[in-house]
Amino acid sequence: MDTDRERHRARETAFYLFTQQSLPACKPVLTPGWVIAIFLFMGVIFIPVGLVTLRASHCVVEIVDRYDIDCVPEPSRMDKVSYIQDDSIPKNCSRFMKVHKYMKAPIYIYYQLDNYYQNHRRYVKSRSDKQLLDGQKYHDTSYCQPVESNNNRPIVPCGLIAWSLFNDTFEFIREGAELKVNRKNIAWKSDRGHKFGKNVYPFNFQNGTLIGGGKLNPEIPLSDQEDLIVWMRTSALPSFRKLYGRIEEDLDVDDVVVVNLMNNYNTYSFGGKKKLVLSTSSWLGGKNDFLGHACVFVGCSSLTLAIIFVLLHVKYRR
Amino acid sequence: MMNSMNVPSKRSTLERKLDKLILTLFGTLFTMCLIGAIGSGVFIDRKYYFLGLSKSVEDQFNPNRRFLVVLLTMLTLLTLYSTIIPISLYVSIEMVKFIQSTQFINKDLNMYHAETDTPALARTSNLNEELGQVEYIFSDKTGTLTRNLMEFFKCTIGGEIYGTGMTEIERGVAERKGIKVQEVPTSINSVREKGFNFDDVRLMRGAWRNEPNPEACKEFFRCLAICHTVLPEGDESPEKIKYQAASPDEAALVLAAKHFGYFFYRRTPTMIYVRESHVERMGKIQDVSYEILNVLEFNSTRKRQSVVCRYPDGRLVLYCKGADTVIYERLVGGSDDLKKVTREHLEKFGSAGLRTLCLAYKDLAPDVYESWNEKFIQAKSSLRDRERKLDEVAELIEKDLILIGATAIEDKLQEGVPDCIETLSRAGIKIWVLTGDKMETAINIAYACNLLNNEMKQFIISSETDAIREVEERGDQVEIARFIKEEVKKQLKKCLDEAQQYFHGVSGPKLALIIDGKCLMYALDPSLRIMLLNLSLNCSSVVCCRVSPLQKAQVTSLVKKGARKITLSIGDGANDVSMIQAAHIGVGISGLEGMQAVMASDFAIAQFRFLKDLLLVHGRWSYIRLCKVVTYFFYKNLTFTLTQFWFTFYTGFSGQRFYDDWFQSLYNVIFTALPVIIVGLFDKDVSSSLSKRYPELYKEGIKNMFFKWRVVAIWAFFAVYQSLVFYYFVTVSSSTSQGSSGKMFGLWDVSTMAFTCVVVTVNLRLLMICNSITRWHYISVGGSIVAWFLFIFLYSGIMTPYDRQVSG
Repeated sequence: MDTDRERHRARETAFYLFTQQSLPACKPVLTPGWVIAIFLFMGVIFIPVGLVTLRASHCVVEIVDRYDIDCVPEPSRMDKVSYIQDDSIPKNCSRFMKVHKYMKAPIYIYYQLDNYYQNHRRYVKSRSDKQLLDGQKYHDTSYCQPVESNNNRPIVPCGLIAWSLFNDTFEFIREGAELKVNRKNIAWKSDRGHKFGKNVYPFNFQNGTLIGGGKLNPEIPLSDQEDLIVWMRTSALPSFRKLYGRIEEDLDVDDVVVVNLMNNYNTYSFGGKKKLVLSTSSWLGGKNDFLGHACVFVGCSSLTLAIIFVLLHVKYRR
Repeated sequence: MMNSMNVPSKRSTLERKLDKLILTLFGTLFTMCLIGAIGSGVFIDRKYYFLGLSKSVEDQFNPNRRFLVVLLTMLTLLTLYSTIIPISLYVSIEMVKFIQSTQFINKDLNMYHAETDTPALARTSNLNEELGQVEYIFSDKTGTLTRNLMEFFKCTIGGEIYGTGMTEIERGVAERKGIKVQEVPTSINSVREKGFNFDDVRLMRGAWRNEPNPEACKEFFRCLAICHTVLPEGDESPEKIKYQAASPDEAALVLAAKHFGYFFYRRTPTMIYVRESHVERMGKIQDVSYEILNVLEFNSTRKRQSVVCRYPDGRLVLYCKGADTVIYERLVGGSDDLKKVTREHLEKFGSAGLRTLCLAYKDLAPDVYESWNEKFIQAKSSLRDRERKLDEVAELIEKDLILIGATAIEDKLQEGVPDCIETLSRAGIKIWVLTGDKMETAINIAYACNLLNNEMKQFIISSETDAIREVEERGDQVEIARFIKEEVKKQLKKCLDEAQQYFHGVSGPKLALIIDGKCLMYALDPSLRIMLLNLSLNCSSVVCCRVSPLQKAQVTSLVKKGARKITLSIGDGANDVSMIQAAHIGVGISGLEGMQAVMASDFAIAQFRFLKDLLLVHGRWSYIRLCKVVTYFFYKNLTFTLTQFWFTFYTGFSGQRFYDDWFQSLYNVIFTALPVIIVGLFDKDVSSSLSKRYPELYKEGIKNMFFKWRVVAIWAFFAVYQSLVFYYFVTVSSSTSQGSSGKMFGLWDVSTMAFTCVVVTVNLRLLMICNSITRWHYISVGGSIVAWFLFIFLYSGIMTPYDRQVSG
């Protein structure tokens, strides 16, 4: 009873404070002291964070090799498009990559494409998630235009994204011995488990007159076609990396890795670049100095401002 | 009905400016779409074979029909960027305003009038923030500034001042001089009645018999009791009688006579009956009947009123009361001391804001009276020009008067009016008094409320000049109109020239304009309107007297349309309705004079002094809060949309959306909705008492400091800057693999990250614009951010149960 009344009174008081607009409030006033303290604090937080980030980034060893031009034989360089489209010419190519710093396993292999608009609206929507999960049971694949069906039979997986699957392949040899490349578990688990069906097999894929990219083994269910799964997680920017596999051996300084690659994929018609990237990884991920630099920059500018304000405050103290 | 106008629907200036901002945003939206669309037309090309553009391509992407591509992309982008238009802003503003008016204004105890049990009432929630930008107040006088309650306050009889009270103005003057005002204790047996606020033991209960000049006192009281046109009503006892008078002044005088012991209780066509006490000796009460022979009535030209009466003993006396100027002209020579002393007293009364009347009498010899009476009867029965002839005849007998003294009546100002007006004018608000009363009264009240003082240069444009009167007497309407117009033009020009000299001077006196209704009628003529406006805008106070309700509205709209300033009209009666409707904001005094004004008004308050709270506290806060709400809304939607815009450049201008549909639709509805409403309700820079103590703060609102284009531009700059930071930080930092698994982010991962940045930053940025932060700020800001994380957790859970988990 008493508590009820008290609660009622408390509510009334609160409402009174509300209507009379006298709710208790803190009034932040930017006094010089506060401003200096805030900037100092920001400096003190951001500089260490930036340095840690930078350090993590510097620990990462990354080797990048652009191969799209060098892998086209001299005579064909004038007309790279007809070279890549001519099936009769062998597309194999060897590259040498020198390790300049000790690389600890696992070493991630990426291929990087530039000027490739995986985020184009026509491209992004040209897929059928339902079909990827349920296969031919699912019929409404109108999103997949223009790669929806061939010879009046549905294509699985349908759509431009799957159709344009990246199909360069890489083999790595060190000192005459082949480096084992682990190509399992390169896609996000959620994609494998929940977006690509375990009982869905490629069907009628790359069967038409126009072949876009890689073919798929019709014996393997989509959920195990990790190349496809990686490819179909469309990138945010027109320049992107995609995971190809992992080398699970350490590479020593001055090791030379010979890369035997099949240069199948056409980026020549639109002037895109192809790069091969070998990279270790830190707890923060790949080599990316940007965040670290930004943090250090912000921290330093805050500190500088703090110092300037201190000087001004000392000089013009009221 | 003649004075009524169509009821306008009122929108606040801020909202009208907001419309312009929205239009600008539409322009920006269009430009952004155009840029994107042209880009798409240029970009689309068959060489990007992976886009499958070789055959049977829909129009949207057909490289052969680039114009159509541009057009269709334009439409796509319109839907994509439509978040730049803050649609929910209007809903939020309405909510904020509704709560502001129903909870804050209506329930403010500072605006609650306990005596009449009236709280303030916001009848519309459209105009809260307009209250924070008022520059001109048009006020009715009677019932608004004053209580419309005349009280007998002081008098001077035979060169002696009686009455110990102190008017509010005197108190104000004393306070300004730093003199401590001592409350004079009222004597124990003082009489207090509505209309009589006089306290001096020397005159009450027959004590006047012991004063130096009891004869003058006697004449004074008789003059009060006889010389009037009041009708008694009800029971003939001093307690129950009611006086019906043409003006409350007259009633107050008769009432005063009653309290002095000269109780006027009955009137017949020829007789006046007065119950006189203490006349012959203390305590004796006798009924005396006076025969009224002639009544020379009051009118505005005569400014006096006389009665010729015959005492029961046959004595013939003329009693006259009127304005000091006219009475002094007609006094008999001699007794200069008395005249001088009385004049000093009159000035004293005047500066105290009291309305004064001089009383005089004259004994008439029977033969003189008889001969005059013949002329009077003749004049009275004449068919042509009777008024003028009567005036002339009156002139013959109203001369050689003997001065008795003067009365001072207080037209009591409402409580706190001078202080309120002073505060408001310090806040940069100019106050105009528009009244139907005559010029003297209006000026008196203006003095009383600190609107006029003797240091001011006063321009008086009046139709009561000899020249105009002369023309009027000739009676040709066309001629009168032409002449007055010329005259008004001349005067306006003269005043304007003179005023111009004062502006050029550095510290010239303040200017004041006083104009009467007849002149105003001509001054409002389109040809003279500009001159009137120029003159009046440069005056710190303007008094318009004898104006009709329609003229009140015309003056209001003159300033509203001509000067493009925000106007507020305040009044209490039916005659103020058109003025209340014409102004940007109409305020009604919910008082004695019925409900018409309140029904027409936007806000109703019980007392004029509450205007201070309404404008300086509620208006100012509402203005600042709504400006914050609007600019913040602008900022948050622009920031959000621009990240999407930058993304467009990296998608080949295809119109690919950066954010998930749900993110985009819920951004305004959930993730950033509540905190801004909290700011609209609770933000305040200084407390209400400080807002009233430093009214200069209000000038920010008049100058519209918080919603200028400059302010908008600053917010726009922040929006561009922050959106660039969001976009590039997120995209660049996700260009390499994430975590130790070596896996890469896709489009939707990046966009979720960017959206998180936007929601968190935009919400925290809100805290930085708050002047005061309550618990509710923390709850709403924290709640919004938590809501986003909760949402994305559930959403991704529904879409893919174990999405975005790093696998080993």
